[in-house]
Amino acid sequence: MSPTLHDEIREVVKEYPEPRSAIIPALRLAQERHGGWLPDEAFRQVAEALDVTPAYCVSIASFYDMFHTEPVGRHLVEVCTNVSCAVSGAQRVVEAFERELGVHAGETTEDGNVTLRTVECLGGCGWATVVAVDNRHHLRVQAGDVGGIVKELGE
Amino acid sequence: MSDLVKLTIDDREVEVAKGTGLVETAAAAGIEIPVFCYEPRLGPAVGACRMCLVEVEGMPKLQAGCTLTAQDGMVVHTASTSARAAEGQKGTLEFILVNHPLDCPVCDKGGECPLQDLTFRYGPGSTRMTFPKLTFDKPIPVSPLIALDRERCILCYRCTRFSSDVAEDEQLIARNRGAYSMIATFGDEPYRAPFSGNVIELCPVGALTSTQYRFEARPWEIQDVPTVCGLCPAGCNIRATTREGLVKRVQSRNHPEVDGGWLCDKGRFTFPHLRSDDRVREPLVRGTVGLEPVSWDAALDRAEELLRGAQGKIVTALSGSETTEIAYGLGVLLRRGLGAHSAVLDESTSAALDACRAPLSTIGAAELVVVVGDDEVVDRAPIVDLWLRKARRAGAEIVTIGARGSVPAPVGGAAEALRDLAAADSELGGRLRASDRAILVWSGSGGGGGARLAEAAHALGFEGKPGCAVFHLPARANARGVAEAWAAAADADEADPEPIGLLVVSGDEAAGDPSVRALAERASTVIAITMFHSLAVGWADLVLPATASLEREGTAMNLEGRVQRLRRAVTPPVPDELAWLSKLAERFGVALSPHAAVVFEELSGRIYGGLLLEQLGEHAGLPARRPYEAPEPTPLAHSPEANVPEDHFVGTLRLLRYTPLFSGHQVERVPELQFQRPEREVALSTVDADRRGIATGDLVSLRSNGTSVELRARVDARLVEGVARLADEHAAHLHADVEVVKA
Ligand code: SF4
Ligand code: SF4
Ligand code: FES
Ligand code: FES
Repeated sequence: MSPTLHDEIREVVKEYPEPRSAIIPALRLAQERHGGWLPDEAFRQVAEALDVTPAYCVSIASFYDMFHTEPVGRHLVEVCTNVSCAVSGAQRVVEAFERELGVHAGETTEDGNVTLRTVECLGGCGWATVVAVDNRHHLRVQAGDVGGIVKELGE
Repeated sequence: MSDLVKLTIDDREVEVAKGTGLVETAAAAGIEIPVFCYEPRLGPAVGACRMCLVEVEGMPKLQAGCTLTAQDGMVVHTASTSARAAEGQKGTLEFILVNHPLDCPVCDKGGECPLQDLTFRYGPGSTRMTFPKLTFDKPIPVSPLIALDRERCILCYRCTRFSSDVAEDEQLIARNRGAYSMIATFGDEPYRAPFSGNVIELCPVGALTSTQYRFEARPWEIQDVPTVCGLCPAGCNIRATTREGLVKRVQSRNHPEVDGGWLCDKGRFTFPHLRSDDRVREPLVRGTVGLEPVSWDAALDRAEELLRGAQGKIVTALSGSETTEIAYGLGVLLRRGLGAHSAVLDESTSAALDACRAPLSTIGAAELVVVVGDDEVVDRAPIVDLWLRKARRAGAEIVTIGARGSVPAPVGGAAEALRDLAAADSELGGRLRASDRAILVWSGSGGGGGARLAEAAHALGFEGKPGCAVFHLPARANARGVAEAWAAAADADEADPEPIGLLVVSGDEAAGDPSVRALAERASTVIAITMFHSLAVGWADLVLPATASLEREGTAMNLEGRVQRLRRAVTPPVPDELAWLSKLAERFGVALSPHAAVVFEELSGRIYGGLLLEQLGEHAGLPARRPYEAPEPTPLAHSPEANVPEDHFVGTLRLLRYTPLFSGHQVERVPELQFQRPEREVALSTVDADRRGIATGDLVSLRSNGTSVELRARVDARLVEGVARLADEHAAHLHADVEVVKA
């Protein structure tokens, strides 16, 4: 798997003035190949392909919400709790998810199916509360909608 | 003058050069703008902490003073004349302290802490914070040398900026974001880099502390002694913190021309070797069952006996790490007193270099730097590596010519490369000739101690251009001072004695040198002057204890040609060299003062044109350039036969040994420095590795003439073909040509 990840990253690098500029797409590719999160091994691979240090890769990945440095479930539910969503009841949405899934925000269900997280602004403030399910945005979500969303995720 | 701007700070008029930072401008007027994150040596201001808030007339909001430069007509109010600025700073401090544990009583920074000081001066005096503060596991070992107490961190990013923008090792980073940001390395890997210790000094709070200094002393019970590092020829300016007669830490004493305020980890962390268990603390003579301690009187009697018994057939092996005064003292005793003029020193430094000398800081301002030689600069004179990085960040082109160079050259091909540069048809040479800011560096052995370098610089017309300079990086800290002092002690030449009646071994580098050991085989008797038992056993008839450079008064000349002063940080556990040398000298009817300052006066008249110690000051200056005198055309004695094997596939590789920065008798004796030593590995070029089916991490065996060594392979894309590169300490008895096969 690693040689192809390396090749894929080198391919992306060609579009940038210098290799390190490709860090975000490179991390994204690595995350896809490592089951949705970035273990240390992934950082080493990205670092090697971009000729930077693994530590540098961690500094970037840990800054952004869309990169995960801990294992995640097969599905990812991300509830925005930034200002607009907060005033539209995001906290109640989070609590509803916690009840339905039986986990706290930041945790993964025991069967490894769903990871629940709270995140900063998803850029849909006009449609608060925004919930991203596997990177697809659900708009104007209310606590009452949560049961349906969870059902769709299956077991 | 249009280059000056005039502005008003706190009702005071100030005039400074255009482009001066506001913090410096205020300081010039005697006004403080307090800062945490601001540190111009780390690059442009980042404005991370907001401690420097000031009010600028015409700007509606408070400004981060550190991000501003002085502008003509600007009117600035700091906290002392602006209630808004004072309020802003108070707020900033309250905010910074929200998660700060205020555990000053158990914090090593307490008493010398900018956060403590500024909170006293500008802070709110009480807190409104009633919530629990963030806590972390503590202390986190960033490395065996550095501990991190995360809850004390104020996120100024000085340490991470040093790591990424000065040392460029990019190992210390900030993880996460906002209030959850924390300083970290990758996983639990240590911060393993040659300059890591600088982050301790940069940290404005007690978040990053030295494991060697933790809980060892308080600022009001220590003394800082200004001296100079003696571990490489750069001669960084240091201050040694002492308490109750022991060195507790070493910090930078910023000489802007030499070190720019940085130190390497060898210079900073090696001092515990002073207290090594196997230190020689009394004279020893060879008795029936090995070395036996004797009194100083008996030792001097024995020394006199050995010296007389040799009847002038004496050879002195110098280390090049002695102070200039000790070398001179040895010269007075042995040359003047005994007519023993023969000495060996595995290093020479050409005086012709003086025609193009300049401060090391000149490198930082260069536009073109050519580094010639097979050794990495960081291994020979670490601080020079930081100057090269600074130059590159500022846009300079750095060309390296050598076995790992950007321009690959065969091993030992440096002298030839220099000659080619000076030739009329060299493209790179032409650019060196045309530039007003060009630098040549020699980083390797041989080359007539810089003579070849001086010739090249002369041919390229460097002398008349103050921005152009040459730097030869010798292997020994005071190689030149020692050679010159020895030469100045008497004027006679003498052929090497045969047989050798007595070999005098001065210092640990000489004592550990295989060629000196070989010389000892031919000598009937040996006197060894050394700090450590392990270097004394098995060959010496008399052992006289040596002192460390942190224990010495005296001077040393660094690689620039700068004479710098060493001050005794702590009293050595044994009489120093000059003390007993002067006693011995008396027995042979020659006068030698036991005081370094008096010895300096005498030798200065002979070699430094009567330079006075006082003139060296705290930060010594660099003497002016001297007219060029063509050096002796020594044959390329050190340059190894350039017979790289033709057929690499079945053939042998040329062994390229290097001496790593973290090696040597002092480093070996500091347990917490061991993680910095090189891996047991051999580097191979991509081509050579591929031909042998070897990949990074494979176990390989190196064989030559019946000996073999097993270690891991590392494929080094920068290495020239035909070479196996490994650290001295792993090369054991391998010969010049080795076979490399997968084990
Ligand atoms: S550890 Fe020290 S230097 Fe580094 S960010 Fe924190 S306070 Fe600043
Ligand atoms: S660079 Fe050389 S002189 Fe400077 S601290 Fe390191 S060993 Fe000492
Ligand atoms: S605040 Fe939730 S999407 Fe912007
Ligand atoms: S010193 Fe100006 S923002 Fe930190």
